[in-house]
Amino acid sequence: MLKINNLQYQYKNADDLYTYNLEVKPSEVVAILGQSGSGKSTLLDIVAGFIEPSAGSVVLDGQELLGLSVEKRPITILFQNHNLFEHLSVQKNILLGVNKTLKDSIEEVEKVQDILKEVGLEAYEHKLASELSGGQQQRVALARILMRREPILLLDEPFSGLDDDTRIEMLELVQKITGEHKLHTIMVTHDIDDCNRIANHIYKMQNHTLVKQ
Amino acid sequence: MFKGLIRFKSAVLPGAFIALSLLGFAFLLFLTLYGSQEGSLFTQLDNRIYGLLKFTLYQAFLSTILSLVVGVLLAWALAHQSHFKGRGLLVALFSSSLVLPTLIVVFGLIGIFGRNGYLNQASLFFFDHSFGSYIYGLGGILLAHVYLNASFASRALLHSFEAIPKEKYKLAKSLNFSVFERFLYVEYPALKSTLLSIGSTIFLLCFTSFAVVLLLGGSPSYNTLEVAIYEAVRLDFDIGMALKLALIQLSISAVLVVLSSGFRTGLANLKTSHTLIPWKEAKVLQVIQWFIIGLFTLFFVLPLVVIVVDGIGADFGRIFQAPLFIKSFVTSISLATVSSVLTVIIAVALSHTRRNFALSTRLGAKPFANVLDGIIAFSGNLYLAIPSLVMGLGFFLLYQKTEGSEVVWATAALLTANVLMSLPFALSVLTPAMHKTAQRYDKLAFSLGLTKLQRWMYVEYPYLKSSLGYVFALAFCFSLGDLGIIALFGSDEFSTLPWYLYQLMGSYRNADAAGVALVLLLLVLSVFVLIPRLFNGDNIAKNK
Amino acid sequence: MIKTLQLLLLLTLTVFATEKPTLTIYTYDAFAASWGPAPKIKKAFEKEHNCTLKFVGLSSSIGALRKIQLEDKRTKADVLLGLDTSIAQVAKKTGLFVAHELNTSKLDLPAPYNDDTFTPFDYSFFAFVYNTDKLKNVPDSFEALANMPKEFKIVIQDPRSSTAGLGLLLWVKSIYGDKAGEYWKRLAPHILTITKGWSEAYGLFLKGEADMVLSYTTSPAYHIIDENRTDIKAAAFKEGHYGQIEVASVLKSSKHQALAKQFLAFLHTQTFADIIPTANWAYPVVKSTLPKAYETLVHPKEMILMDGKTVQRERKAIINEWLEAIQK
Repeated sequence: MLKINNLQYQYKNADDLYTYNLEVKPSEVVAILGQSGSGKSTLLDIVAGFIEPSAGSVVLDGQELLGLSVEKRPITILFQNHNLFEHLSVQKNILLGVNKTLKDSIEEVEKVQDILKEVGLEAYEHKLASELSGGQQQRVALARILMRREPILLLDEPFSGLDDDTRIEMLELVQKITGEHKLHTIMVTHDIDDCNRIANHIYKMQNHTLVKQ
Repeated sequence: MFKGLIRFKSAVLPGAFIALSLLGFAFLLFLTLYGSQEGSLFTQLDNRIYGLLKFTLYQAFLSTILSLVVGVLLAWALAHQSHFKGRGLLVALFSSSLVLPTLIVVFGLIGIFGRNGYLNQASLFFFDHSFGSYIYGLGGILLAHVYLNASFASRALLHSFEAIPKEKYKLAKSLNFSVFERFLYVEYPALKSTLLSIGSTIFLLCFTSFAVVLLLGGSPSYNTLEVAIYEAVRLDFDIGMALKLALIQLSISAVLVVLSSGFRTGLANLKTSHTLIPWKEAKVLQVIQWFIIGLFTLFFVLPLVVIVVDGIGADFGRIFQAPLFIKSFVTSISLATVSSVLTVIIAVALSHTRRNFALSTRLGAKPFANVLDGIIAFSGNLYLAIPSLVMGLGFFLLYQKTEGSEVVWATAALLTANVLMSLPFALSVLTPAMHKTAQRYDKLAFSLGLTKLQRWMYVEYPYLKSSLGYVFALAFCFSLGDLGIIALFGSDEFSTLPWYLYQLMGSYRNADAAGVALVLLLLVLSVFVLIPRLFNGDNIAKNK
Repeated sequence: MIKTLQLLLLLTLTVFATEKPTLTIYTYDAFAASWGPAPKIKKAFEKEHNCTLKFVGLSSSIGALRKIQLEDKRTKADVLLGLDTSIAQVAKKTGLFVAHELNTSKLDLPAPYNDDTFTPFDYSFFAFVYNTDKLKNVPDSFEALANMPKEFKIVIQDPRSSTAGLGLLLWVKSIYGDKAGEYWKRLAPHILTITKGWSEAYGLFLKGEADMVLSYTTSPAYHIIDENRTDIKAAAFKEGHYGQIEVASVLKSSKHQALAKQFLAFLHTQTFADIIPTANWAYPVVKSTLPKAYETLVHPKEMILMDGKTVQRERKAIINEWLEAIQK
């Protein structure tokens, strides 16, 4: 279980203090609703380790995550864009960060093929990321989540740029992955439909504070 | 304690080390110069020095104003004639003035505007009238400075023109603005910051102008401080005088750099986009704009054509066999290669450190980050504050004091000068590019836990390589074409192509000089065109 | 085996011993040029002495002196040739040169010159040279020169690098004294450009860039004899003509002292005197028959010449006065 307790953050030269309390059980999708600028993405930045909170804790199954450096946290993130390196192949994009060398092993390559099947991109491994459509690119990003198998999945408005059909498809894929791999998924969005479709719980930013609906 | 994305040490050390070395170098230079001069500096400001200073500032001021006026006119004409065939090529050609060796430009200008140049010959042929000699002196200096700087300015100004929202033009049209009102209310506000920044850069470059003044000044009637320093050393062997001049030069340019640093920004290779204003300009305006474009194109291209035409007739068999040519060629190419590699490494290290300071996610907020960042930025712009002749003098004194060989000191001096000269341009290209790469991919790259090597290989290099190629080519061309410090060190034992060419011009071996000028021109242009392609090579291949 | 080695060693030693010494002479470019006197002198001197003569031509003779000063102990020069009596004292003060130990009292000079370090090898008179086809209204004095029409241009040499340039400054100084600066201010508009050395200036003039050039009364001889053209003439000035006695000296650092001094002695031989008038286009310092063309030249009766010591003392001030006057 992922527990976020009384997490606080204040931007430089600003008075507003943001406060977050949140719980995510394994296989659950928790959605965070709010207008842009309401501070919902700030939470993801803190959990991922890009910025440092002034107080509070982020605990996964008893382990404190704050204080760990970014690469050591058991997290995968999906952004709205720039999830892939356009000049690299699909396969390389998925394998980035899996090993520390410049060469990938045969087992890893084989695993990529399996995962690509799972997200519906069979035989795409040697295409360049720049050659894919927006939806396909996000599928590759999802494939990376499966490859990394980190228990926490952070989604930062990942599908808002896609057309309705593709978006629904992707949301369902997220739901499926979360269930099958027992992930703790937090999704930030401004779309109430998205929330209703897959979220187990919905939170909302109100007056700089995260409130459960 | 929050660590930031990367360790402080590895993030800052390389850049800080280089920056401090550069500043330490500048300080040592100042000490060497100051320690070597005898007597008090300011009690001996005689009339001659006062006159020199006055002329140096005067010509720099005039050159700047003229370059800006011509640059604005040209950019204005190009901005409003936004779609004709060859426009892209023309704009690219004008931007190549940045790397054209000044010596070559002067050579070409003399070919056109000299007493026996094509202009006078044509005028004699048609009207039996010669304009006489007007290229030597202030006129020639201004002509060459406008040639070198107006095209450079027009590129940046064109960018500003094209950034003006089309709605503003529509508004101007609906309000029935005259051309003048349109310029005043719509265009000028958009140009103002560029004018300031590019103007101050041009002023600094003209203030320290050397080769142009040396060749066209009609020495020593029209001398700048730089040339006076050179003459004090080479002609008079009056090191005391050279020191005095160097210290004055150093103080003034340092003050100028500090004063202008607030608004002196991009020298970057700007990408221009086509403006599409949905109606045609008035007929009269079109004629004026075409006239401006045509006239400047002629002014820009003809000197280069002269070099090609005069050069083709040269006896290349003899030129290529001359031992001094071979020596100069090898020296020039090796120096250019080493200095461009050094420039790229140093520029990457400095930009990297600056980016670590600038992005709060990378280091977290560190105290003094702003101060350190400023120091590093200043160290990259050292060249503008330390004119190359002054630096050369420092090396020269060290060479005099020590027993080391001339070639070693000369090489060190030239490498340092070339790197410092290229750095401001290299940084203005690389810093924003590296900044952008980090902003875009940092979160992803770090959340994936990529190693440093992986990050450079997979993320940084592919995105930076076109900038790196451009910086490499720029540094290569600068170093290939510079006639600065070599003027202090040049001899039969140590010579570069520009120095060799200068010697040929001085000893009136015009045919050979024309040949060497052509070789140098082709070398610089091909490097400037080919090297960036080399870096982008695999990109192009893949996209096919 | 050992014998062969010994033989080889002996052989190399003898090779070294018999290898010809090379005497390096720094001079101005026109002297060292293939069309200058250097090749003929090289041929004649090498025939008499078993050695190699190497001429290194610099843009000017003062330039050659500066190069030696810059190179300091590292210089390869054995002899410096081409300074004149005006600048010789300045050069002597550097302490880089040794006494020549020659008797120069019998030399045929228009003005007496006896110096223990520098020895004369030729002389001529400074004059402004013009093309008779292009310039009709020829100035006959410094006053006339300054009063020429606006578009009239001359080329002169930089007194800091060229002995000719310095000569002109001293010429003007001898005539105008304290008013020299004021005169230069009047002449300045007519100065097209100021070159480092004589060759560059003369080249500009021949190319048609200027109406007159500061050169020598003997310069037209070259065009008469070598080019068969009589349109190049030197203008005779009422005030008289400043002279130039060119001198040479041996470097203290030279490893071939004896040979170098033999070379200085050679400068006073008939062989050398015969080469000079038709190669360096100047009068020799030993009596000899001059070519016919020399009869048509302007030949001033007297040579204006400033004392070397005075020049050494006042050179800087005179040059500064000039720089200030012509600086825009």
